[in-house]
Amino acid sequence: MMLRACPREKEVKELVERGQWPVAAATAPELRAHVDGCRSCGDLVLVAMAFQNARAEAVGEAKVGSAGALWWRAQLRLRNAAVERLGRPILGAQIFALAVNLLLVVGLVVWQARHGLTWFAQLPLTASFHLDSGWLDSGWFDSLLSSGWSSLVLIFAAATLALLSGVVVYLAAEKQ
Amino acid sequence: MSLTAWESALSNVLAPGANTAGAQASSPPMDDQAFAGFYERSARSLWAYLARTSGDPALAEDLMQESYVRFLCAPHSPSQLGEGEVPARRYLFRIATNLLRDHWRRPRTASIEEIPEDFFAQTGGSAQADSQMTLGPALKQMRPRERQLLWLAYAEGYSHREIAEVTGLASASIRLLLFRARRKIARLLRDAGNGRKL
Repeated sequence: MMLRACPREKEVKELVERGQWPVAAATAPELRAHVDGCRSCGDLVLVAMAFQNARAEAVGEAKVGSAGALWWRAQLRLRNAAVERLGRPILGAQIFALAVNLLLVVGLVVWQARHGLTWFAQLPLTASFHLDSGWLDSGWFDSLLSSGWSSLVLIFAAATLALLSGVVVYLAAEKQ
Repeated sequence: MSLTAWESALSNVLAPGANTAGAQASSPPMDDQAFAGFYERSARSLWAYLARTSGDPALAEDLMQESYVRFLCAPHSPSQLGEGEVPARRYLFRIATNLLRDHWRRPRTASIEEIPEDFFAQTGGSAQADSQMTLGPALKQMRPRERQLLWLAYAEGYSHREIAEVTGLASASIRLLLFRARRKIARLLRDAGNGRKL
């Protein structure tokens, strides 16, 4: 399709947009004759007038609601989004702490498996050996420390560290 | 976190850039009073655009409300940046155009029983306005995109550049698309016997 713009199209369009077209046509017969003979301008006048009439009627029949209701609906949506955004660091910290804990557990299991779970094997022996001789003077605590119980302490320390790291991440994310 | 800190954080999110907007904005962000005025001036023309391009007044009402809510929620909208009414209006039409496009892309699931009776009364009733009687059937034969382009150009009086901003099309292609659409609807209007109105 050839795209041929008429040089007078702009002039005609301005008249139609200002709502002066039928009046202008009556006072300017030369322009009227041009529009009658020019397909491009003829199309423009026909289409633009049809749309402007349709717009005027549609605007008249429009039933618009309250602006206040829309304003508060938007505020509510913004508030919900803000609350959700503020909750994101907590979730991130929880996921991070969980991931660190899991890693530590897996690491410890692998480490202990390589050492043949020696502390686990000694645990019942140690407990039964000192059962008759009392709590304090039995050296039970010393044997725990010297045996595999130190690994349990290590696990608790690591878990505490992981939790603390989660809190640190949360605080850092919150500052952002 | 203390209540004050939460309130402060919330207000920062609700009014993003409130402390730093002075450098880039020429006027303050839109408050509820300014919005009410803007709504009063723009709602009817937005409804007209949506109703005539979709052919469904009920849908137009829904999309219009959603357009305003999204307009107010958008962090970089002209309303937040205080850029003035003309860009704000263009941005609003852009949101509405996108919503309408999403609606057309969505698979249609509504059954005939779900459509209210007044929908048929509005589209075929005897009380229908004259221009709608002539333009309506012609518009129905146009593609949705063509309807949008024609409405924006000839009902809203937007320039090619503004139409490109609203529709997301390349500015260079608007001229050709609009020329074709205008020729097509002019032929349909003439066939319907509307040419005598010239």
